[in-house]
Amino acid sequence: MKVICDRAALLAAVNMASGVVATRTPRPQLTCIKLTARKSGKSADLTLTATDGEAALRLTVAQVDVQEPGEAVIPADKLRQIVSAEEGDPTLTIETEDDACHIRGQDARFKVFGFKPSEFPSIPDFEKIFAGKDGGKTAIFTHTSDGLSTMIGRTLFATARENSRYAVNGALLKREGKKLEMVATDGRRLALARQTLAQSDKDAAPITCIVPARTLGLMQRLMDEPEVPVRVAVTDSQILVAVGTPEDGGIRAALSSNLVEGAFPPYEEVIPRDQDKKVVFDRDVLSSAVRRAALLTNEESRGVRMKFKGSERQLELSSRAPEMGEAEVNVELSSYEGADLEIGFNPTFIVDALKVVSDPNVVMELKAHNKPGVVKSGNDFVYVVMPVNLQ
Amino acid sequence: MPSSRRSIRPLPELLVNQIAAGEVVDRPASVVKELVENALDAGATRVTVRLEQGGIELVEVSDNGAGIAAEELPLALMPHATSKIAAAEDLDRIGTLGFRGEALASIGSVARVTIRSRTEAQHEAAEIACDGGETSVPRPASGPVGTTARVRNLFFNTPARRKFLRTVPTEQARCVDAARDLALAHPAVAFVVSTDGRTALDLPPGQTPRERALAALGTELADQVIEVSADEFDDARGATLWGLAGLPAIARATNQAQHVFLNGRPIRDKTVQHAIKEAYRGLIEPGRHPTCVLMIEMSPAAVDVNVHPAKVEVRFRDPSLVHTLVLRALRRALQSADLTPTIATARPTMLGPREIGPAATLADRLRHGPWPDSGAPIDYAATREALASAENGPVDGGRGSASGWPDAASIAEPKPQTPLPAPIPASRVLQVHNSYLVTQDAEGVVIVDQHALHERVMFEQLVARVSREPLERQRLLTPSVVPATPAQIARLPELAPLLSRIGVEAEAIGPEAIGVHAFPSFLFERGVDPVDLMSDLLERSNDFAPDSEEALRDVLDMMACKAAVKAGDRMSEGELAELLTLRDEVERSSNCPHGRPTSVRLTIRELERLFKRS
Ligand SMILES: Nc1ncnc2c1ncn2[C@@H]1O[C@H](COP(=O)(O)OP(=O)(O)O)[C@@H](O)[C@H]1O
Ligand SMILES: [Mg+2]
Repeated sequence: MKVICDRAALLAAVNMASGVVATRTPRPQLTCIKLTARKSGKSADLTLTATDGEAALRLTVAQVDVQEPGEAVIPADKLRQIVSAEEGDPTLTIETEDDACHIRGQDARFKVFGFKPSEFPSIPDFEKIFAGKDGGKTAIFTHTSDGLSTMIGRTLFATARENSRYAVNGALLKREGKKLEMVATDGRRLALARQTLAQSDKDAAPITCIVPARTLGLMQRLMDEPEVPVRVAVTDSQILVAVGTPEDGGIRAALSSNLVEGAFPPYEEVIPRDQDKKVVFDRDVLSSAVRRAALLTNEESRGVRMKFKGSERQLELSSRAPEMGEAEVNVELSSYEGADLEIGFNPTFIVDALKVVSDPNVVMELKAHNKPGVVKSGNDFVYVVMPVNLQ
Repeated sequence: MPSSRRSIRPLPELLVNQIAAGEVVDRPASVVKELVENALDAGATRVTVRLEQGGIELVEVSDNGAGIAAEELPLALMPHATSKIAAAEDLDRIGTLGFRGEALASIGSVARVTIRSRTEAQHEAAEIACDGGETSVPRPASGPVGTTARVRNLFFNTPARRKFLRTVPTEQARCVDAARDLALAHPAVAFVVSTDGRTALDLPPGQTPRERALAALGTELADQVIEVSADEFDDARGATLWGLAGLPAIARATNQAQHVFLNGRPIRDKTVQHAIKEAYRGLIEPGRHPTCVLMIEMSPAAVDVNVHPAKVEVRFRDPSLVHTLVLRALRRALQSADLTPTIATARPTMLGPREIGPAATLADRLRHGPWPDSGAPIDYAATREALASAENGPVDGGRGSASGWPDAASIAEPKPQTPLPAPIPASRVLQVHNSYLVTQDAEGVVIVDQHALHERVMFEQLVARVSREPLERQRLLTPSVVPATPAQIARLPELAPLLSRIGVEAEAIGPEAIGVHAFPSFLFERGVDPVDLMSDLLERSNDFAPDSEEALRDVLDMMACKAAVKAGDRMSEGELAELLTLRDEVERSSNCPHGRPTSVRLTIRELERLFKRS
């Protein structure tokens, strides 16, 4: 294999692929990136493949000149260090010699020992699966890169940090006809994002699966060009994502990952329907007020007290940390319906949600100091947050 | 069944005494105890104990005390005959070890006893024998001023009792222990104890309590103990105390190495044991027991010693006074001591985690527990006098709680007197294997167990916080379901106040599950699973009184353990710095709440030795 690559394009790909290599493993191949140089007629490309056993990523770099097709398997960290350190070079030449790999810049030459390409673990055949030819009962849908990325952004933050008996470190992905939903919860708040698919065939199989939080993060990074169509395939145990279609030059980036096993908590029951107090906020005003009120909280006293005074159209936010001090911030309310209420929330939970809504107006619905609060932005985003008790 | 009917009749005197003997004398060690007490009551300055076959064959106690007049010898062996009290009022102020007049009669009914004695006034001694209750007439004998009581063939006429005796070495050890205990409490009196001709104890007269303790328990304990004493606050309340507290490292599997004395009398007392346990809480692992010698002095009127035939149990008129006395004194001493164990470099497992320290070897070598190396002896006579004048009416110390035992918080906790060395900047802290932090202080290299220290720090912070207000609760979207037994569910109402203090809201959902509706915010932040904590808590709740301060600490301890950084967690420089700063701030951080050390030290001296520089 001998290939001359655009350094910047290669670096972007190597950085991304490095996120899917294993760190501690008895199989050293799992810490490597596999390079595959292809050439057919006029078109040539270099494909980077990485897998840690749980997820696999395949990226294609088109800005290359393939002089000799072939394959190489080299440790990801060395490849990344070299490509990123060769700042002065617009291009790098990669050439194999047995299991070793020579990387050359203008004034530097590196020889890196790797592994036999035949020893690299196999990854799913994305082309076959997305063509619907893998024989299994795979459900596939297409959405815009932008749309999927927004949905992930509106739910990923609410996933639990780790899988535990009470929470899932992942988000529910649900498709029924044209309706697409993603839901995440850590047991204390729940975020629900909805979108409508542009196209969908009537009898497409419904999808219900739990996608690991890490996979969602990787998906988001793949979707950097807003309008590009993204295809998602879900099998019994895996989710596969492909950016780029056969019509516009084939799959440019593809990701596969195992799904989280188990059942997602029954989230519909958690969304309250009988809230009797309704406030409309300016997103940025509320966000700023909560942040400032939170300045005097600490690990054990997280809560910010929100005192809604309907008659005065005022919201008073305050916090108190026993050995630190107190804060108070006042907000004018443009509208408030219902009786006065005092309720406490973890400020991070409120700010998290405000960060992901696009509409400058948000609606908050409440009921009682020990009942959930709901933040809504249109019909696309529903956020349920449980209060903290106030001393 | 008329044939099985038996008529009621008074028991023969011998049988009465034998039954009584069962309460006073159950093994050779009780004979040793009773006889030595008599010697001490007689004002002896030298007591000699001879044992044969673990005391089963022979217990002989000789003293140089006042002696018994020849004509009173038969009385000494009569039940309920005593020279020590005369009227009921005397029971309220017992200043002697004996007072029941029961011991010699009891022993005489179950063994072959001879007593030879001579008073100062007599020019020759007299001897009397009592063989299984048959008392002879006194006959002249030769001997020095003082008394020798010889007890042979214990339980020869009550084979059932004899069967209950253990092996000779066991009985012998108990006999020596009994003598040693009394020797500890009477440091001015010389004691010699021999077993089958070999000297087991040889203690010179005129020792200070400290000297006596070290001589009786082992001089190697000198640097394993810290001195404990009462202060003016206690004096004002009419109680005083001196003692030696064993370092946490020499804690034992049983509480046998707690030597507690009240007015010179060895006692076993729940109040005192509880106070000791409380004082060491967090310094030693649960299930281990502190070692100590504690000598409590208070007015005889403030305590009833007449509740137990063998007089080892006592009843304090004001148990809270004693509890506070012991707890405060021990805490003060433990807090002012630097409890960071020193690494015993002599051991090949030098850097083996968690079993570092001289504890294991020393503790094994010691039959008995810990002791001292400096400090003024107490003057018992002067103390008693002082106490006698403070006796009338309670003195308001102004700090004790009105009823029951004071809780830990109401006791003034003096800060350590010796400031810890200045903290080292975090850049000079090394995290090893993501588990241990290596740093230095004035004395050498300090190695910190990151989990143990963080747990300790969190525990202290939680205790402080909960004492002010309940922990902040975060409500859950849907209750976390914790599997529980019906018995645990039944206890839930009892646990409710405790749970609300720690920020948990839970209720039964169905016959075999508990639903958690709210959980402390900070535990969520630290990734603690409600199901995890609650399962442990429910399990543990079987062993504690839910409304006790102890239960609260137990649960906070559990929370701290789950919330703390784990071994294997990588810590940032900032976190390292913060943790070590907190180490200096949090009291007693040298042991995690489970009692494992949080840090060990390799002193410069030890290093020099290791590198053969000295
Ligand atoms: N070693 C001794 N020296 C002097 N008097 C003794 C000695 N042993 C016993 N006596 C006398 O015998 C009495 C009875 O002893 P004992 O049965 O032990 O009863 P108590 O010690 O309860 O009075 C004592 O009160 C004491 O007068
Ligand atoms: Mg006696």
